[in-house]
Amino acid sequence: MDVLSCALLALLFTGYLVLAGSDVGLGMLMPAVARTPDQRRRVVAAIAPYFLASEVWLVATVGVLAGLFPVTEHHVVAELWPVLVALLAGWLVRDAGLWLRARIDRPGWRTACDGAIVAGCWAVAVAWGLTVSGLLTGGLVAGLFTAACAAAVVCLFALRGAAFGAERLVGADDGDSADAAARATRPLARVGLVLGVLAVATAFLPAGPVGGAPVVAAALAVVLLGALVLTSGLRGPMLSRHTSAAAIAVPGALVALTADLPTAPVPDTTAVFVWVWLAPAVPVMVLGQVWLYRMTRRPAAEPTFFA
Amino acid sequence: MFDDPLLLARLQFALTAATHYMFVALTLGLAPYILVTQAVAAVRRDRARMTAVRFWGGPYLVNYGMGVLSGLVMELQLGLNWSGLQEVFGYSFAAPLALETMTAFFVESTFLGLWIFGWDRMGRWAHLACFAVVTATAYLSAWWVLVSNGFLRHPVGFEMVDGTAHLTDPVALMTNPAATLAFGHVVTGSLLVGALVVAAVSAHHLMRRGDSHRIFRRGMRYAAITVTVLALPVAAFGGTQFEIFGESPPTSGLTYTAGEIQAIEAAHEGGAASAIGTAGGLTMFIAWSLMSLIGPAMLLGWLVSRFVEVSRRWTRVLVPLLFTPLLPYAASVGGWVFRETNRQPWVVVHHLTTADAVTPLSPGRAVLSFSLFTAAFAILAAVTAWLLVRYARRGPEGGPLAERPGADPEEPAAPVHSF
Repeated sequence: MDVLSCALLALLFTGYLVLAGSDVGLGMLMPAVARTPDQRRRVVAAIAPYFLASEVWLVATVGVLAGLFPVTEHHVVAELWPVLVALLAGWLVRDAGLWLRARIDRPGWRTACDGAIVAGCWAVAVAWGLTVSGLLTGGLVAGLFTAACAAAVVCLFALRGAAFGAERLVGADDGDSADAAARATRPLARVGLVLGVLAVATAFLPAGPVGGAPVVAAALAVVLLGALVLTSGLRGPMLSRHTSAAAIAVPGALVALTADLPTAPVPDTTAVFVWVWLAPAVPVMVLGQVWLYRMTRRPAAEPTFFA
Repeated sequence: MFDDPLLLARLQFALTAATHYMFVALTLGLAPYILVTQAVAAVRRDRARMTAVRFWGGPYLVNYGMGVLSGLVMELQLGLNWSGLQEVFGYSFAAPLALETMTAFFVESTFLGLWIFGWDRMGRWAHLACFAVVTATAYLSAWWVLVSNGFLRHPVGFEMVDGTAHLTDPVALMTNPAATLAFGHVVTGSLLVGALVVAAVSAHHLMRRGDSHRIFRRGMRYAAITVTVLALPVAAFGGTQFEIFGESPPTSGLTYTAGEIQAIEAAHEGGAASAIGTAGGLTMFIAWSLMSLIGPAMLLGWLVSRFVEVSRRWTRVLVPLLFTPLLPYAASVGGWVFRETNRQPWVVVHHLTTADAVTPLSPGRAVLSFSLFTAAFAILAAVTAWLLVRYARRGPEGGPLAERPGADPEEPAAPVHSF
């Protein structure tokens, strides 16, 4: 039962990074890939269906952490309080921008909301960088590893966003944004590669990660660097959809498998109670997610509720 | 006064919860009305009713989005500011919340996305089914949250193991009267909020004679019936909870002895919380008394307008309806203030005091968190209220879900020569 609950937590967190990486990352890159008002509208139209279905993974992560792993949650909150408040604030600003953008038909309003989206996405990515490094080092410590790891995570978000944009921004007459996003994948992968190597190198210095399982960590580092090498090459943009997903899953897997987090066995009654209710909901959850992702593969040409 | 982290954390939670609940109440109140309208529209292939769904769906979505934002802050705030509660009661109090995030919110948000983006991409039955899932999970969500909240008021079904509460009886947790009665109260209260919002919007448009799709006459009829039928049940569900308020929970004594409990309660006798609670209760009662008169008055007006042709021109009598949504909102917030202050000094009655539950925050952090999120909420609530009023006044043609002219994929317009 414990293994199952741990796997659920790891799946929700890693799933969040992979899925939300797309919409957070594309939001970060909006100033670079969208220059005209219509291009910006299409960027938001690509993000909108995705963010509804991806941020629920994080909410579920927090729920599972609180309900099944209160000891772990207590440790995480105590160690990372300022970063988590920043994450929440960034999230709030970003989502407010997304929900409110199409509400008022004025250029100034849309510019303000776009600004909120971009700033919020960056705040969320940086907060995740610091959260991941903080979870690996067992608290917020100022050190080279923290800097390299946080920067690498931010870069992975941007790479995931670029890959997502290259796929979803393809339109009938303005391929410009999609091309810009596709071109961005290669330099982002190269920067990510450098930062990844730096993070691996600084991991052996003081103020590095404190977790056990060095073999698992090394294997995951190989996966990350391998995915980034593939994306850095000539065929990078074509592979980036899958390589960026694999790359951003690595921080999640690192935290899940190697971080030294205090845990307590989940009491049986609570575990049974949660799983008995969760099991019948899983097919509905999967159905909704797959359906929404498939249905919105192309952003709507006509303006919708969000953009 | 404002350097006390406990006071700031309490104020912050009260403001967050009150703002969140106002959005939640309208979501719960409008969803069934939209669902039934869409179902009838799907069965009869009725375009006018579909226009109504698009019209009410606009404010519903804006309100839902802000409900999500405030809900996120609330969920994370429980962990950030109230770690003592999570530490002791994580396995019992937070387990229903974990289920809420996965079985309710996760599904609700995903299927709402399908509903928003599925207007032109799926058949009418699939689209209707999506909103049915949204409505069901919205109510499921309220249910889980009230199971958690009811546990605070009337903790049942656990044993203490090394200072941590371990769930022993999930059935008792879910059939807790403090949860089931509160659920009935919240459902009926939310339907009143939804009905009076529908009534106010309908009154506005009927006064301007703008009802080409019969949206607002139908809305008025729905509101009149709902308010009349539900005024008594909402009070009944609220009133029967007073019985639990007086008694000790069955688990009393597991953490503190009777003597210690008396000493803790005696030390917190009176105080600002109890005065605020009384004011909340009074607000709720006055607002309810006024609301109980609205339903019969609306039914009477409806009957008169049905049989006396000339009375349909006396739309001035609808003016008071424009302001009636204030009553159920005031009653809802007052009711929550009453319920939550009534529990003090406990966060979990007879087990954990509010003072022990708060995260040991430095005053600086407490002030930062309080001012950041209070300011954000004030802005969000103001913008949302303004947008809701704006959409309500615009009518069916101007909403965010309204069919756009020219969006029909019919024959492309013939090219016009212009030399």
